[in-house]
Amino acid sequence: MWSDLLRVLGLWRARAGWLVLGCALAAASTLLGLALLALAGQGVAAALGGAGFGGGLALLLLRPLVVLRPAARWIERMATHAATFRALADTRVWFFRRLADRLPAGIGLRRSGDLLGRLVADVEALDGLYLRAIVPGVAALAVVLAVALLLGAAPVLAAVVALPLALALLLPLLLAPAAARAAGDIARAQGGLRAAAADAFIGIEDTLAANAEGRAGAALAREGGSLAAAQQRLAWRGALAGTAGSLLAQAALLGALGWGLAAGGSGAALTVLALFLAVAAAEPLGIMPRAGAALAAAGAGARRLFEAADAPPPVAEPATPAEEPGGYAIRFEGVDFAWAPDRPPVFEGLELDIPEGTRLALLGPSGIGKSSLVALLLKLAAPQAGRIPLGGVDIANLPADFVRRRIACLTQDARLFDDSIAANLRIAAPLAPDAALWRALDRAGIGELVRALPEGLATQCGEGGARFSGGQARRLALARVLLTAAPVLILDEPTAGLDAETERAFLETLEEVTAGRTVILVTHRLTGVERPTRILRLAGGRALPAAG
Amino acid sequence: MDSPAEAAEGAGRALLRRESRVLRSRVLLPVLLGLAALFCGVAGAWLMARLLAALLGHPGGDWTALAGAAALAVLGAALGLAQERAQLAAGAAARTRLRDAAFARLLELGPADPRGVGERASLVVDRVEALDGYFGRWLPAAFLAFLGPVLVTAAAAWADWRSGLVLAVAGLLYPVVMAVTGIGTAAASRRQFDALQHLSGRFLDRMRGLPTLVLFNRQEAEAEALGQAATELRSRTMRVLRVAFLSTTALELLSAASLALLAWRHAGLLGPGGADPAPALFCLLLVPAFFQPLRAFSAAYHDRLSAQGAAAALAPLLLEEGDRGLALEEIPPRVVVTFSDVRLSYDPARPPALDGLSFRVNAGETLVLAGPSGAGKSSVLRLLMGFARPDGGRIAINGRDATALRPAELRRLSAYVGQKPHLFRASIRENIRFARPEADDAAVEAAAAAARVTDFAASLPQGLDTLVGEGGWGLSGGQAQRVALARAFLRDRPLVLLDEPTAHLDPGTEAEVIESLQRLCLGRTAIIASHSGAARARLGRVLEIEAGRVAGAPQQARV
Repeated sequence: MWSDLLRVLGLWRARAGWLVLGCALAAASTLLGLALLALAGQGVAAALGGAGFGGGLALLLLRPLVVLRPAARWIERMATHAATFRALADTRVWFFRRLADRLPAGIGLRRSGDLLGRLVADVEALDGLYLRAIVPGVAALAVVLAVALLLGAAPVLAAVVALPLALALLLPLLLAPAAARAAGDIARAQGGLRAAAADAFIGIEDTLAANAEGRAGAALAREGGSLAAAQQRLAWRGALAGTAGSLLAQAALLGALGWGLAAGGSGAALTVLALFLAVAAAEPLGIMPRAGAALAAAGAGARRLFEAADAPPPVAEPATPAEEPGGYAIRFEGVDFAWAPDRPPVFEGLELDIPEGTRLALLGPSGIGKSSLVALLLKLAAPQAGRIPLGGVDIANLPADFVRRRIACLTQDARLFDDSIAANLRIAAPLAPDAALWRALDRAGIGELVRALPEGLATQCGEGGARFSGGQARRLALARVLLTAAPVLILDEPTAGLDAETERAFLETLEEVTAGRTVILVTHRLTGVERPTRILRLAGGRALPAAG
Repeated sequence: MDSPAEAAEGAGRALLRRESRVLRSRVLLPVLLGLAALFCGVAGAWLMARLLAALLGHPGGDWTALAGAAALAVLGAALGLAQERAQLAAGAAARTRLRDAAFARLLELGPADPRGVGERASLVVDRVEALDGYFGRWLPAAFLAFLGPVLVTAAAAWADWRSGLVLAVAGLLYPVVMAVTGIGTAAASRRQFDALQHLSGRFLDRMRGLPTLVLFNRQEAEAEALGQAATELRSRTMRVLRVAFLSTTALELLSAASLALLAWRHAGLLGPGGADPAPALFCLLLVPAFFQPLRAFSAAYHDRLSAQGAAAALAPLLLEEGDRGLALEEIPPRVVVTFSDVRLSYDPARPPALDGLSFRVNAGETLVLAGPSGAGKSSVLRLLMGFARPDGGRIAINGRDATALRPAELRRLSAYVGQKPHLFRASIRENIRFARPEADDAAVEAAAAAARVTDFAASLPQGLDTLVGEGGWGLSGGQAQRVALARAFLRDRPLVLLDEPTAHLDPGTEAEVIESLQRLCLGRTAIIASHSGAARARLGRVLEIEAGRVAGAPQQARV
């Protein structure tokens, strides 16, 4: 847990100035609160019989503090929150970047509802590390030191008051590891709850079609129940720790009185001071043991964030990239590939030659490895043996972003984002002018439909392109690929979901649309209008020439 | 006239009121425990004041008093623990109620609900969690913030009526200050929540399309956009906090001023060796106890603000009546489906999806709906599944109006496979059994065999027990489609509704699947939307649809 938290602090290094400033302000404002109560007690005690020192001075000093202390609190809280939000935003972006590196092919077995929970909830749990553990910790430490210093004249009294307070300060560190386990349970339960909800909503048609509303509700209630139980365990620990903290503060208070009783009248002045110091210290130190729970929640959040972020990248970037080739001929040389050691091999000694400008149709039944071939080419997976040169250079020695600039792909799961049509298209070419967007839309055979929309290019697509029919969304995704400047286009079932007429119309214009580029058309059947220059059929892990 | 925002806020308050009434007794317990704990604190302060007075040379305090104060401190701590426990239980009970209700309503709304998955999940999880503090902390704190200071003021007045007056004035000023600083925070808080939800929704959306972003080398740009969204969120949140913290600052100011006033008053009043100082010291020691419930109230105020935002978002969902309609008495063995002049429009700005569609499918007949994409084929199936309601015309099942049935009841008639069937994160076997949970292994295996799932499952490491991820990870599109078809076999209902059942299949597999579809449709009424030539040729009667009408039918005048 501690190493994870240290790593989080490392991520926040760029914000160190803000974070340290927040701590300093917190210490200052807490000490002002201590001074306020101590001076009030002094003033009264001095008036009561000369028992305090400088009663008049104390009451005079009290006046500015009445305003200063609240103002300092406000500034402190603004500064610490501003620092936290900055640090958390950094963490969020860092996590997204890491996932793009580590899980580029998608979420696979990790449920996206769960992942969402990780980012939003776990990143937010990290605010507890600073706001509820470090900041109060620094403030409480300042209080304990000040108390020990002020009562230094009577070492026994200083010890009787400061030791329980110091123990309250140390409690969170002692309690955190046990609370961390409880916090881990909460984070897991929260992920499970979110995933149960998201799973039912993603598959809502299937859930309703199976009349499974009751079952889905029961599954959700189960996850909700285990979340509540885990939260109660942690909260109970926090409550116990909080009680321990306030009891320790009370012990300091009663200790001071006991010392006074034992010392008799001569110690009255110091006893009054100690008593009011202890009363003032009760608030900042009373909340300290709860910092343990915050520390633990942050630790659990950090653990899960790093777990996802540290997944090994599927394909390592070359240490020293080769010089980027100008050409774009592709070859597969003796490629062996399996998705996992326990899965059957997809390719065994695959040989394939795709010169520049080829229009290759790649055929084969579902599950034969067409998508695997695409994944290898795009560096979403790496072959166990063999080479895949692009323009004569093995892509293993080329950076992934270079390869993906040269090879654009319409995947089967190409996704439209919840954004405008224009923004969705510009994912392929951020600087493309509207005219280029319209050209791509026309080529994909959907320009007419978009023109008819009242908002045209600004029309929102909805989540996953939900505002359009399956065939329309597919053509928008196709337009996006056509917009790229990549010399190699892979079209994986480009016409899935299109009706026969639209499919034919698109495939007939394919040659004109892709003029000069290499096209790899992955499909399970040819309609007879594609006019490919080569046709290959995948079978038994190899590519065999085939007749159309 | 209320603005929409005010109306939403009002609905949110109505929801919170309704729930508070239901949970009244659960909220009362922590209040009583809290009062008892506070009483212990006041009594302890009196003993300490007496002890201090003894130190200053007045009679009354001794070691017994010290022991009494210690005992009171322990008792107060125990009562505080009990209070906390009762608060946790109240919050958990409220969340369970609200979450179950919200989830059930969202399922009722079905796939037509325009909210994205991330947004819906966030309603059920985050918004409901945000209500926890309202019942677990805010309501008890609100009661205690009134009763606690009254108790402490009474104690102070008993010792010294002028000190009591100072505290009473501070207590009366507090709601004024809160009212002044609280205005504006509520609205700002809701905006901040919207921003947070937008951020969550955006992240889920981009995460699900991460492969697309990576393939276009756009992950870096998207990370920057995400950072920008977070910056925007920060500036909004800071605006809320600026005001929210002001109210706690005002509380600090009141507390400091009361303390100073009391100190000046008692220092001026008491001369050396004069009256008994215990009441004066008691009043000073009461100041932290007086403000402690108000501090808890102030801290819980954030809970109330976030709860109001969450309640406003949940209210439209939870205050609304659920689906009404008739229940299905029993599932008829044979089904005749008749569409007469059915109209359906999703979006008034776009052409209608169905524009006066009429057809009839007899019992045991298979109808293939053909036509270009966007012609309305899927809409027919959605209407029959109750995912959408027709805007006009009549849909009859065995001669009776289908829309009179509750949608969930309507669905009991059918086995349905949509265009993008979803595989849940479970084994293939459990994914098939999903259609009919009481089915035994033999029935599941028979369905798997009929849909040709067994053919590919045999080569998987654990056969039918192989785990698949969200969206069918680990299976090709065609394989996932066959698992979904197996569900339809297992479900065994008189009406079969299939949307593009062979879209992702190669010709060889397609032929096999069509053969098993023929078996599935045998003796059942079936409606199949399909582009596939093979499906049209082999499955049954073909009905061409174009622009929401039967192709060639004369365009009818719109009413």
